[in-house]
Amino acid sequence: MTSPIFEQIRTIASDLFTVPAGRITSDSSPLTIEAWDSIQHLNLVLALEDKFSFQLSTEEIEQMKTIGQIASLVERKLQTAS
Amino acid sequence: MPITIQPYRQEHEPAVAAFNRRLAAAGVDENLVFYTRSIPRWLPKTEGSDVYNEFFVALDGDTVRGGYALKTQNFLLPDGTTRPIGYYHHVLSEGIVNKAYAAAGGLLLRDAMLRSPLLYCLGMGGYDHPLPKMLIGLGWNHCPVPFFFRIVHPSRFLREMQTLRTSAARRLLMNLVAVTGSGWAAGKTYLAFRRLKSPRIAPHTMQVVGEFGDEVDALWLQARSAYSFTAIRDARTLRVFYPATDQHFTRLTVSRGGSLLGWAVVGERRRDAKYGSMRVGSILDCWALPGEELAVARSATQVLEQQRFDLILSNQSHQSWRRAFKDYGYLSAESNFIFAASKNLVKMLDPFDETKLRMHFTRADGDGLPRNF
Repeated sequence: MTSPIFEQIRTIASDLFTVPAGRITSDSSPLTIEAWDSIQHLNLVLALEDKFSFQLSTEEIEQMKTIGQIASLVERKLQTAS
Repeated sequence: MPITIQPYRQEHEPAVAAFNRRLAAAGVDENLVFYTRSIPRWLPKTEGSDVYNEFFVALDGDTVRGGYALKTQNFLLPDGTTRPIGYYHHVLSEGIVNKAYAAAGGLLLRDAMLRSPLLYCLGMGGYDHPLPKMLIGLGWNHCPVPFFFRIVHPSRFLREMQTLRTSAARRLLMNLVAVTGSGWAAGKTYLAFRRLKSPRIAPHTMQVVGEFGDEVDALWLQARSAYSFTAIRDARTLRVFYPATDQHFTRLTVSRGGSLLGWAVVGERRRDAKYGSMRVGSILDCWALPGEELAVARSATQVLEQQRFDLILSNQSHQSWRRAFKDYGYLSAESNFIFAASKNLVKMLDPFDETKLRMHFTRADGDGLPRNF
């Protein structure tokens, strides 16, 4: 996955988790990124809401298991909004 | 099933009771329970009220996995405006006993931030506790609210202060100092020394009142410019927090020549194992004209000393109050009473490092009222 949305999410995740963007792939998850704990997960949610100007439901937050899933979710939400 | 956060309703009460039972069964401190009644006993939301408490629960289907309380109150901000600010408190998540619900704490906080973007937390038990760790991780600004204490009866303090009596040698030494009276002598010498160093206090009179009258409104208006960030402390608000019907508090006013200088609220703290059998008094709230803080701190202390308390405690964030308590012989110790502000709130408190010196937070702004302060 290399969509512009994915790239933006990768940049956000890289900043939050202090991991080089190149090491973040579609499959990256809390299991592969050590700094991705429950607090950073919440930070990620807040950063996404701030960046894309939408609000995520708790159900959506719980679906955010990998960077790829997050990118798909964000794309869906942006399409629905437009 | 995804967790949803909803206002706590009566139909959730059995599930909350079950939640509390699960925490207790997992060995959680018996004081850590979520409210068994959905309608707050303290500050319930009523028509037209601008100070109120609301409860919310995290639901996993019909099962409660956590909850929090949100107190809304008007605050004076550094720009001179008044706005409702949310106080996030009594947070409890099943995540503390079951990692499967580790995300519940974050969801509860996020829900509170959505409901009340200008949000703060206070108290929290110290920086080693989960909530302040989470808030710091989220980039909230924070600072401890300094803690002051005054030992009224040194021998009782030396015998009963459990947090200091941590080893056999310490206990022996403290007993010895208590028995020989050297603790008493050292305490009195220190207070005499502080009195010599402290500024002179012009004559004033103190009066214990059954209820704060409208005259405190003028005091609020006259003094508020000295405070960068404070909960509204006008007569109406004080009567909500310290109603005449509540005899647990002692309310006092301080005057000079018939003019009101300030007021304070004092009371007895709930028993706490760390203080042994000592009677512990608290100066839980106060307000004064700029420069008159020492007179109010002195009067409040004297009321508690007359009530035969062994130890007096207070938390004060404003630099003038801190100076007053220190000048009146209070000692300070590391504070576990922490103030933390959400990013949205901090934008309004900018620059936070300057604002925090003149913000007014006391025990009364925490979750301890009406009894646990």
